Amino acid sequence: MSHAHEHAHEHQDATPKALSATGKWGMVIDQDLCTGCQACVAACAMENNLSFIGEDDVAYGRSMQWIRIERYWQGEYPKVSMTDYQPMMCQQCGNAPCEPVCPVYASVHSASEDLNVQVYNRCIGTRYCANNCPYQVREFNWRDWPLPEPMSNRLNPDVTVRQRGVMEKCTFCIQRIHTGENTAAAANRDVLDGEVVPACAQACPANAITFGRIDDPTTQVAQLAQDSRGYHQLEEMNTLPRVTYLKGGSKHGSNG
Amino acid sequence: MSEKISRRDFLKIAGTGAAAATVLTGCGPASRYVTREPYAKMPEYTMNGQSTYYATTCRECAAGCGLVVRTMQGRALKTEGNKYNPVNLGKTCARGQATLDGLYNPDRVTGPVKKSGKGSQDFTANATWDAAVQVVTDALTKNKPAEVAFLLGLAPDHLFDLVSDLCTALGAPAPLRYGALSLFEARATLGEAARAVFGKPDLLFFDLAGADVTFSFGANFLETWISPVAYTRGFANMRRGNPNKRGYLVQFEPRMSQTAAKADEWIPIVPGTEGMVAAALGSLISEAKFGVASAAFSNANVAKASQLSGVPLATFDHLAKLFLGAAHALAIPGGAALGQTNGLENGKAILTLNALAGNLGQPGGVFFTPASPLGDEYHRPANAKELGDLIGQMKSGSIKVLFIHGVNPVFEIPQALGFAPALSKVPTVISFSSFQDETAVLSDYVFPDHTGLESFGYQRVPTGSGQSMLSGAQPVVAPVFDTKATADVLLAAVAKAGGSLASTLPSKHEVEYIQNKLGSLLTAKDGFYAASEIESFWVQFQQFGGWWKNTPELGTPTASLDTPLTVSQPEYAGDGDFYLFPFVSPVLGEAGANKPWLQEIPDPTTTVTWSTWVEINPKTADALGLDNDDVVLITSPAGSVEVSVYKYPAIRPDTIAIPFGRGHTAYGRYAVQGQGVNPADLFNSQVNPAGDLAFGAMKVTITKTGKQRQLARLEGILGVYGYATPAK
Repeated sequence: MSHAHEHAHEHQDATPKALSATGKWGMVIDQDLCTGCQACVAACAMENNLSFIGEDDVAYGRSMQWIRIERYWQGEYPKVSMTDYQPMMCQQCGNAPCEPVCPVYASVHSASEDLNVQVYNRCIGTRYCANNCPYQVREFNWRDWPLPEPMSNRLNPDVTVRQRGVMEKCTFCIQRIHTGENTAAAANRDVLDGEVVPACAQACPANAITFGRIDDPTTQVAQLAQDSRGYHQLEEMNTLPRVTYLKGGSKHGSNG
Repeated sequence: MSEKISRRDFLKIAGTGAAAATVLTGCGPASRYVTREPYAKMPEYTMNGQSTYYATTCRECAAGCGLVVRTMQGRALKTEGNKYNPVNLGKTCARGQATLDGLYNPDRVTGPVKKSGKGSQDFTANATWDAAVQVVTDALTKNKPAEVAFLLGLAPDHLFDLVSDLCTALGAPAPLRYGALSLFEARATLGEAARAVFGKPDLLFFDLAGADVTFSFGANFLETWISPVAYTRGFANMRRGNPNKRGYLVQFEPRMSQTAAKADEWIPIVPGTEGMVAAALGSLISEAKFGVASAAFSNANVAKASQLSGVPLATFDHLAKLFLGAAHALAIPGGAALGQTNGLENGKAILTLNALAGNLGQPGGVFFTPASPLGDEYHRPANAKELGDLIGQMKSGSIKVLFIHGVNPVFEIPQALGFAPALSKVPTVISFSSFQDETAVLSDYVFPDHTGLESFGYQRVPTGSGQSMLSGAQPVVAPVFDTKATADVLLAAVAKAGGSLASTLPSKHEVEYIQNKLGSLLTAKDGFYAASEIESFWVQFQQFGGWWKNTPELGTPTASLDTPLTVSQPEYAGDGDFYLFPFVSPVLGEAGANKPWLQEIPDPTTTVTWSTWVEINPKTADALGLDNDDVVLITSPAGSVEVSVYKYPAIRPDTIAIPFGRGHTAYGRYAVQGQGVNPADLFNSQVNPAGDLAFGAMKVTITKTGKQRQLARLEGILGVYGYATPAK
C-alpha cells in the first residue's frame, strides 16, 4: 500500500503544480471533504459492470473495485487518529509503469484522450501490469464471477462485461467521456466544463471529487489542482498522475 | 452485423488475403456483405442509442432522497441523485446506488404465495391475485376491527396514509410504523426531548453548514442518521462552504465511528454519560458567559461528570472555551446518547446547549423541519413500548390478523421483545414483502409489493430540506415479477367488501388515491409549479420527482435556561466487564444485507466485508489473549452471539462494538451468505422514559471459544494464501 499520506504532510510547501497541468482529463479529490461513505465505490460498481466476488475471494485479496477508500491509523489509544479517507483509483499516469511491461499491448496509452486504457480482448492475463502498478489499482478477474438472473438486467450496455483471465481498472468512465464528446461534436462545440462527470464524482454526497479538462486552465478541476493543499500520490516515482489530492485538516481560508 | 458469420466462414475470409477477391465471390451472399469490425471498437466507444430517465424517490431508507434512474429498453441501469430534490440535490449514498441490486434481486418473491404454513421456506408463487384480494377482504371484514393490526415501515408515506384512512374507516387501531434505524436513532426520545426543551415534539434540523463549532453526541450524520446525504452536504459546506472559515467538529462517542473519524476531536466517553458531560459543559460555558451558571445547568457536577465519563477535567475546560468562543456553536444528540436509561435527560441536556449558544433559528443552529404539505403532523415511528403493547396483544391472541409492510420485524425488532413467538399466536399473518425475509418466512401469506423502483407513491421528508416538500415516486420499469402494489390490493379488497368501507375509500386504485391526496397542492401558495387540474399537476409531479415550495419555512424553536435539568447516572443491564456499543452498519443500513454489492463494499473504518465483527481495543484483546479473527462468545442478560474479533485501535478499552445489519437467517442468498450475527439479539427489553429501548445500556462478557473465523477485509493482511496474522 502507498505511503502517500506522509507525503501529504511533506509537501505542504512544495509545489507539485507543474505536473498537474499536463494530460487531458484530470481529477481532484478533496480529502477534507471525503467522508469515506463509499457512495463512489457503489456508483462505480453499478456504472462499470463490476463483479461482486463473495467473502472467500475478498479474503484472498481479489476484490474487484476500481475505486477504494484507504485509511490508515496513527498512534495508540487514546491518542489515536485516522488519516484522512483517501479514495484510490487508477491515477491515469502520464508515465505509467503498467504500460511498458505488457507483452501484448493490452495496457496502452490512448493518444486521443491521454488516458491509460486497458484493451480487454488483447489481455492474456500475465498480470505484469498489476505487479508493476505502484498504486495497486488493477483488478484481475480470477473467475467468471456468477451473476444470477435477473441481475444482468442492470448491466450498463456502454461498458464491456469482462471475463475470467482479464485485467481491468478505472477508466475515468471513458464511456461518459465519449458520450460527452459525441454530444458536443454533434452540436459543433467543445465539451463544456462539468459536462463529463464520472460516476464516482456524480454520486459523491460531499462533492469531494471534481473532474474535467486539466489542460484548460479555466476549468474548475484545473484551478483546484493548483490549490496549495494539492499533492500527487507517489509523485517521486515520476509516474505523472492525473489525479491531484487536496490534503485535509488545515485551516480553511488561510490558503494552507 | 445483420447476419451471423460462422467460424468456418471467418477462417475462409481471413485466410484468403487481399489478392483473393475473386475467390470471395465463391462465398455465400451473406458473407460477401459482412463488415468485420475490430473489437478494439469496444462498447465504451459506441453510442448505444438514447436512454430514458425517470425521476423517483429512493426507498432504501425513509429520508426521501430523489433519484433519477437511467433506463434503456425497459431495464433500469443506473440510479443517480435528482438534482432538483431539495433533500439530496443530485447526490446519493451507497445504498441509493445499490438499490438496483434489490430491484433485480434473484431472491424476490415472484408472485402471491399461500404458504404451506408459518415457517415454510417455500416461496413458489402458488396463488392468484384474485385469491389474494379475497384473503385480504376476508381478513378485513370477518374479524372485529380491534382484531386487525398493521405494522408498516417508515416508507412509503402514501401507503401509510392509505392504511391510516383504512383503519379509521374500519374502526381498527392506527397502524404502527417501525424500522431498525428508528430504534437506533431513538426517534421517540429525540421527539420528547424536543417537546421538553423546545415545546414541540417535531423533527429538528441541525444546520451543520453554518456552524463554527459542532458538538455531536454520537450523532452519525455522515452514516445513516435520519438524512445522511443532506447532512453530508451540510458537513461539506461546514468544512469548505465559506472561504473564510472551516467549521470544527467534536464527536463524543465510545468508539471512533466513520463520522468521528472526520471530526477534529474525538472524545471517547463512557456510553450513557453524554448528558452529564453536556450539562457539565453547559455549567462551565454559562458560568464563563454570565458569571454564574444558568439555572438549567445548576445541578451539573463537573468533577463527577469527568469521573463517570472518563473525560479529563482539562478537556472540559478546553471544550467549554471552544464552544464559548464560537460565533455559531451547535450541539446534536445522536441515537447512542438517547438509547439509554437516562436517554431523555441526555437529550434535554444536549438540546439545551443550543439554547445556551443562542443558535435557535439562527444560521448554524437548530430549526424545526418544515411541516409536510400533506398533513402537517409528524408521524413518529413506534417506540419499544408501543411495539411491546402490540406484541402483548398478539401473544394474548387478541390480534387475529396482522398485515406487515415495509419492515422485517422478525429481524429488526430485538429478540428480547418477543416478536417472533408472538407472531405464531396470530391466526393470519399477511406479509407484503418483496423479498423472502425472516418475517415472510413466518407469515401465512406473502402478497409481494413492487420494489421502490416499480412503485408509485410519495414520501414526506424527515429533515434536510428547508422547504416544505413531498418527494414523489413513479415506476421506472415495468414490474419484473408478478407483484402488485399493496395499495392496489387493499383498495381492491375495500371495493370487494363494499358497504360503508368502500364509500369512505372510493379510490379505485393507487394512482387515483395519490392524485386525490395531491389535490390540495394544485394551487397551493409558493409551489414551484401549479396547475389548474390534476393531470397537468401529475405530469410535473412525475417529471420533477415531487413537489416543494420555493422558499424555506424552517421553524424557530424557543427555549428557556431557567428550568433546572437533572441528569441521572445511566443504569446498565448485565454485570459483564464491557459496555456494549451497537451501531448501524454505515454501508448496509437496516435492510441492505440482501444486496450483494453492499455486502461487498468494505466498512469505512474496519474495511470488513460480508461478515460481522466485534471491535475490541488491541490492549484489551491482548490482555484477554485474543487476536484478530478469534471467535468470541459475547453474552448479555438477554442472549449471546459468537463473532470474530477485530482489534480496533480507536475504541475505549472497556467497550466493545458490534455493527447491526447482518446475521440473517433468510432474506435471500446474499443476506444469508453474509455470515454475521445480529447484535440486537443481545439487547435487553429495558426502555427509557420516552419509551425507546435503552439499547446502549448493556454490559456484556467476552468468552474465548478457541475457534477462528477469518474476516474478509479489504485492508492488507500478511499471508492471504493460507492464513497468517500480521507480526506484532
